[in-house]
Amino acid sequence: MKVDKKWTTVMLSFLMAISVSACGAKDAPPAAKQAPAAPAQTVSEPAAKGGPDYPTKQIELVVPFAAGGGVDLVARATADYLSKEWGQPIVVVNKAGGGGAVGAEYALKQAKSDGYTALAVNVSNTTMLTAGMTNPPVKNEDQIYTSRIGKGTLAFAVKADAPWKDFAEFSQWVKAHPEELTWTSVGPAGFSAFGVAQWLDVIGADFSKTRMIVTKGAADSVPKVAGGHAVLAVHTVGEIMPMLQAGKVRILAVAGEERSPFLPDVPTAEEMGVKGLTVFWWTGVSFAKGTPDYVIAKWQDAIAKMEKDPAFAKKLSDIQVEPDYADSTAFTRDVGQETDAYTELATKKNMRK
Amino acid sequence: MDTIQLLLDGFASAASPENLLMAAIGALVGTFVGVLPGLGPTSAIAILLPLTGVLAPTQGIIMLAGIYYGAMYGGSTTAILLNIPGELSSVPTCLDGYPLAKKGRGGPALGICAIASFAAGVLGVIGLVFFAPVLADQALKFGPPEYFALMLLALTLMVSLSGGSLIKSFLMGAFGYALALVGLGPSSGMPRFDYGVSQLVGGFDMISIIIGLFAVTEVLKGIEEKRAATAITRPGSVYPQKTDLKKSAAPMLRGGLVGFFLGLLPGCSAAITAFLAYDLEKKVSRHPEKFGQGAIEGVAAPEAANNATSSAGFIPLFSLGIPSSPPLAILLAGLMIYGLTPGPVLFEQHAPFVWTVIASMFVGNAMLLVLNLPLVWVWVKLTRVPYGIMAPIILLFCTIGAYSVRNSMFDVAVAFLFGGLGYLCHKYKWPVVPLVLCFILGPLLEESFIQTMAMGSGHIGIIWERPISLAILVAAAALLVVSILLNRRTNQRVREERARGMDVA
Repeated sequence: MKVDKKWTTVMLSFLMAISVSACGAKDAPPAAKQAPAAPAQTVSEPAAKGGPDYPTKQIELVVPFAAGGGVDLVARATADYLSKEWGQPIVVVNKAGGGGAVGAEYALKQAKSDGYTALAVNVSNTTMLTAGMTNPPVKNEDQIYTSRIGKGTLAFAVKADAPWKDFAEFSQWVKAHPEELTWTSVGPAGFSAFGVAQWLDVIGADFSKTRMIVTKGAADSVPKVAGGHAVLAVHTVGEIMPMLQAGKVRILAVAGEERSPFLPDVPTAEEMGVKGLTVFWWTGVSFAKGTPDYVIAKWQDAIAKMEKDPAFAKKLSDIQVEPDYADSTAFTRDVGQETDAYTELATKKNMRK
Repeated sequence: MDTIQLLLDGFASAASPENLLMAAIGALVGTFVGVLPGLGPTSAIAILLPLTGVLAPTQGIIMLAGIYYGAMYGGSTTAILLNIPGELSSVPTCLDGYPLAKKGRGGPALGICAIASFAAGVLGVIGLVFFAPVLADQALKFGPPEYFALMLLALTLMVSLSGGSLIKSFLMGAFGYALALVGLGPSSGMPRFDYGVSQLVGGFDMISIIIGLFAVTEVLKGIEEKRAATAITRPGSVYPQKTDLKKSAAPMLRGGLVGFFLGLLPGCSAAITAFLAYDLEKKVSRHPEKFGQGAIEGVAAPEAANNATSSAGFIPLFSLGIPSSPPLAILLAGLMIYGLTPGPVLFEQHAPFVWTVIASMFVGNAMLLVLNLPLVWVWVKLTRVPYGIMAPIILLFCTIGAYSVRNSMFDVAVAFLFGGLGYLCHKYKWPVVPLVLCFILGPLLEESFIQTMAMGSGHIGIIWERPISLAILVAAAALLVVSILLNRRTNQRVREERARGMDVA
């Protein structure tokens, strides 16, 4: 092959272009980020608790799920509030895949632990991931749980014209005919799987005889129940809301001890005589292990303040998420307890892979 | 009819100066982003979503819808002029658009493209007005078995799409499917074929493979051919001649209908319908051998289809909150951020908003026509830049595009790897379209298969016990037979054609 002048020009200019664009990709890990030029005027508060000024540049908030889901919407509302609060852009980046493991691995293991890469976490990519896998790609020890922001109640939805009059009757039917129960799930070890497993455990039905239909998420799963292709969908109230309002599905009960503020007429499973359904959905923020304390403190305080902001509260209620703040200490403790409980459940029901 | 009244009110508010401005900005920004390879509607909307946050809900969504349409159109522009599909749904447009551009008829091709997009967009909006409440119910009837049958149908079409050797297209399809297997299994959640490489756990991304196979390959071909500048010297007038319009009218209508009705099904992306429409046109044409050599019908049909699909996708989105494609999922996020949860309730509670947005789609489509036809020369100018400058710029955009998928250099590496592969395929005449199609449909096929088996307690019989899926299966079988027969008959001629000219697939 003759290397002529034109070809050399092309290759050289390409090399120049690439080195400009990828900021020295040859020696940088995939997570290398070049911070865009900071705005000329930044409102920088006095350094909190003796630490250096933070933030002084753009922060990346990694959402390990697709845009439009619950975690994504809460993360966007949070980013919106904090960027106004701190005068620095907070960019939400979606890195979906692997039940939330892909984005988590990026934010916790590939990115620098300098406080400029945060991770949006939820129940599915933390406690349930650890419980559902013998060797999960990310573990609780890999991260500092910074703040819990909100929670969602699980709801049991069936087709609008389903024959059961209430949750008690439905539970009895399932106990008698476990092989006829098809239920949609957001992944083999997501919150719907744990919600169903716990419920069947409580009522004494055979979990292994029921049939799980794995879907991509609520947008894919609830229509399957509405169309009569599966019997039951277990999702958060917010995810079922559109189909519920359309009159395509019915919610037989919500989990937890109290009725959902968004569905005051729907009874809890407890009222229907099914006690001990504790699985719930939550979302929050965590940082990679080794992130400086002043970063954690700053986020924690700002999120605590954010929860009191009426505009933020309205955003949460618009997507049917309840505010549920926990600071780093309480959040870490809750996660630990939840992991143990779910691991026990997963082992018992043979869900660990 | 009160919907008409509502729509008229919607027009009244969509025509307010600031809303018009939003639609115009959206259409322009969208086109610009769409022209950049790899930055399709999804990434465009995702990147610009935070920027629209400062606007009022109506304006924000109008702008986002404009970006969506604009990006679709921008993708077609580069597909025709540079053989670089901005996103998957413009791949079929490349097949004939680029040969047309090489013949110096890039202008009319772009014109037809804009007109087809506009016509189909309008068709979609009209459909949205009349069928939104009715059609939404039909979408629910499609369960996993129906989707499985539908995927089989789409894969059968693949066979007839590549036109060349059946064996080669099957092999490439199988390779595409194998690539799709890498990553976490859709049902088990277990990593497959990752060989301990953490990036492989997330699987290969569609966009980076597309950028590689189409854009990077194109640059490599260009370097090999030592292009002085892209062969287009005279794009010709962008206003197509009468004969072009006459030839394109029926394909536009057919493509629009295919795109619209299939677009109502969640999961049936614009790419799938564009391929289907192209193939349908090739089937009904009296000169199928002209396809791939610069047939204007081959531009009109897929363009109409992908735009009709993007419009139709708003029906399940608004009426049920089901996003049928990634860009719509991000639009859904936009709606939710504004506290507008899609569903029939949205039509009741926020009727003015919904109808303003629908009307503004109409306006947005018109904007594209008005703005882009005169602006085509700007895009054409791009093709006159010497190749030594153009190639690195294209590669730079490819790099940015591939990187922006998941913000990882891994996807960039994948893009370049597939660039090399695409170049080899081109050299040795292996079709890449089946690879791409199987890569996209493979996971859907697998997922719906597993769901079907779960529904039927491990018996596949459920597929032919249900009328809709049975009908689709019968159609697929009939199509396969017809394809094989037609293939045999045309193979000889296609080979002759291929020996003479070059082709994309």
